Amino acid sequence: MSMIEFKNVQKYYGDFHALHDINLKIDAGETVVLIGPSGSGKSTLIRTVNGLEEIEDGQLIVDGQDLHDPKTDINKIRRDVGMVFQHFNLYNNKTALENIMLAPRLVLGREEAENKRIAMELLEKVGLADKANNMPSALSGGQKQRIAIARSLAMKPKALLFDEPTSALDPEMIGDVLDVMRDIAKDSSMTLLVVTHEMGFAKAVADRVIFMADGRILEDNSTASFFENPREPRAKKFLSQVEHH
Amino acid sequence: MSLFEQNFSVFLQGFGHTLLASIFALVGSLILGTIFAIMQVTNSRTARSIGNIYVQVFRNIPLLIITLFFYLAVAKVIKMTGFTAGTIALTLYTSAFIAESVRAGILSIEAGQMEGARANGLTFGQAMRVIILPQAFKVAIPSLGNQFINLVKNSSILAFVGGLDLMYQGNIVAANSFDTFTTYIIIGLFYLVITLPLSYYIQHLEHKLKKNA
Amino acid sequence: MEKAKKRRFGLIATIILALAIVLGLFWAQQTVAHNAKHQDTLTRVKKSGKIVWGTKADTKLFGLMDTKTGQSEGFDVDMAKAVTKQIGKQIGEKLTPSFVTVSTASKIQLLKNTNIDGVFGVMTITPERAKIVDFSQPYFPAGQSLLVKKDSGIKSVNDLNDPSKTVLVVVGTTAAQNIKKFAPKAKTIALQDYASAMQALKAGQGQAISTDNAILYGLATENPDYQVVGGTLTNGPYGAAFDHDQKPMVDQVNQAINTMKKNGVYNQLIKKWFGQVPGLDWHDLEVHE
Ligand SMILES: Nc1ncnc2c1ncn2[C@@H]1O[C@H](COP(=O)(O)OP(=O)(O)OP(=O)(O)O)[C@@H](O)[C@H]1O
Ligand SMILES: [Mg+2]
Repeated sequence: MSMIEFKNVQKYYGDFHALHDINLKIDAGETVVLIGPSGSGKSTLIRTVNGLEEIEDGQLIVDGQDLHDPKTDINKIRRDVGMVFQHFNLYNNKTALENIMLAPRLVLGREEAENKRIAMELLEKVGLADKANNMPSALSGGQKQRIAIARSLAMKPKALLFDEPTSALDPEMIGDVLDVMRDIAKDSSMTLLVVTHEMGFAKAVADRVIFMADGRILEDNSTASFFENPREPRAKKFLSQVEHH
Repeated sequence: MSLFEQNFSVFLQGFGHTLLASIFALVGSLILGTIFAIMQVTNSRTARSIGNIYVQVFRNIPLLIITLFFYLAVAKVIKMTGFTAGTIALTLYTSAFIAESVRAGILSIEAGQMEGARANGLTFGQAMRVIILPQAFKVAIPSLGNQFINLVKNSSILAFVGGLDLMYQGNIVAANSFDTFTTYIIIGLFYLVITLPLSYYIQHLEHKLKKNA
Repeated sequence: MEKAKKRRFGLIATIILALAIVLGLFWAQQTVAHNAKHQDTLTRVKKSGKIVWGTKADTKLFGLMDTKTGQSEGFDVDMAKAVTKQIGKQIGEKLTPSFVTVSTASKIQLLKNTNIDGVFGVMTITPERAKIVDFSQPYFPAGQSLLVKKDSGIKSVNDLNDPSKTVLVVVGTTAAQNIKKFAPKAKTIALQDYASAMQALKAGQGQAISTDNAILYGLATENPDYQVVGGTLTNGPYGAAFDHDQKPMVDQVNQAINTMKKNGVYNQLIKKWFGQVPGLDWHDLEVHE
């Protein structure tokens, strides 16, 4: 069963055609990595999946609901589709623990003791139990990102979207975050869509790789064949650039 | 100082009305101002224009005219005293300035805060209430403080419509005692009794929030 | 300095500053008052060749600003002009009148500060006022009355003596103080001037305006739906006012008014301003000596 499905999706920013006729199907439990040069539309695409960007044409079916249908309740979909941002977007006025507990309390009405127990478990899982009461301003970038991931996981989502989760981090912090993401990918029931430049990570965990350029999907291939033998010349060129980087 | 003693109860009555009008208008304008600030940052074009028109209208018309409008025109339809008319006008007028302060506060909060909250499943209203506004108010406090102090001073507009406030009583005492100067000094001191602690409290709040940040 | 101390220091500094300002202002006022005492109005008038009169700008028939010329016009203004001319004759010098608009609340302070030399401003002679200013002899026989809507059913002040009724007055008028005697149960609201009081009456903020009949006639002329009722409650003639202890000036003014009453100038002015007022027989106001 597909978790996310794009059918002839078009997205414009004013006159600028940001997504050209996107067709893409991601099954439940799949881990898909999205790559492409800067400005190719990766963020735009991933942000349409939880309605942070609206689409102008086509169908975008997430968990059985069409996001282009005005009757669809976007808040309901967002409960089941978490997102992790490049710049973390932690709530600056809340402690790490509160960042994790807030949405389950307000959106799911999760009972307080249960909420706290789950939040502490997640903090444990991302290795930051001792930072529970820190404000975001008192966390390092890598720590912030791990809290942000825990925050998304607390909603027990069906799918998680990652938009360059390690691009804003110092190199020595990237490993910790990728480790956490690797753990999540092992959970076969969760659907993951990840925009990243970490090719090692992609090779290790992705089932599929999608290559985008100029607002179009140019290649959609299994991980192994994409890295061994990309069909698209532009993908080949992109890979050589990233790997020599 | 016998002027003060002789008219003490009159001054006190005026002080009470000024304090009451100020409190009503402060709470009212904070609520209204926040609502109109939020309207101006929503995606709805209609809400944005309504918010914008409201702010432009009440910010750019002299308070006296708004007050007289309620006292002389609206009162023909809905009975209201000068105190009520003046307090309503003061609330509307101040709320336009507060809307601007709060709006500036909201805009100073990075867009990622709202996106993070929405992506996390919170509604626009929840995100505003729990995440954006608490941070926005922190930013807006110095400017809100100015609005509140202006509000207390502007409450003297009630005197023009028989609102029984400090300035009203002061005008009467001044006219009856013929000692305009002393009377207005006393009135001024009464205003200080409200505005000084208010400024002091706002400064205190500013310090406290800075420490927490 | 630690924070708490610093904060306390700030508070104390603020209070000291506030006190310093207040004391400074008191001192300034004392100085002004002291200097003023030694100023003789007539001497000042002779020296400057002009008399600065305070008149009203919001009172029809007595002193109302003509929006085209920017000059106030009315009986008070004409009296001030005529008195100036007459005093000039009496002291054998050419005097010109000049005018400053005063409000009911400000006129006495302006006199005290010597910003103006005298007031022709619908000012009732009362014993309390006489302690603070010098009055000329009465120059207009006024009395407190009521202005009500024609269909209001209110006939006299007794109809207003009820907690549900509000009487509108103007700050600082004698009527504002007297109305409590005549209708103790009624609420009173004081407004800044007659125009505001009239607007408030029209808006239903009160059931009557109480002040001198002379002024009410002016309001009634402009607002035909309203009428003066209940006769006069008080006898409160108008006098011209001057700073305290200005006997030489007051004597000159009294002499001038006497002359004007004798030579017909006074009656001419009465006819000019009150000849056309509905419900008022101007002949009653004429003086025959
Ligand atoms: N809000 C917007 N308004 C107008 N144009 C936009 C907006 N957001 C993105 N774009 C444009 O859309 C195109 C795709 O942007 P997008 O952010 O999706 O690229 P990306 O692939 O994520 O790039 P990067 O790797 O640099 O993050 C770019 O040309 C960008 O300039
Ligand atoms: Mg991007």
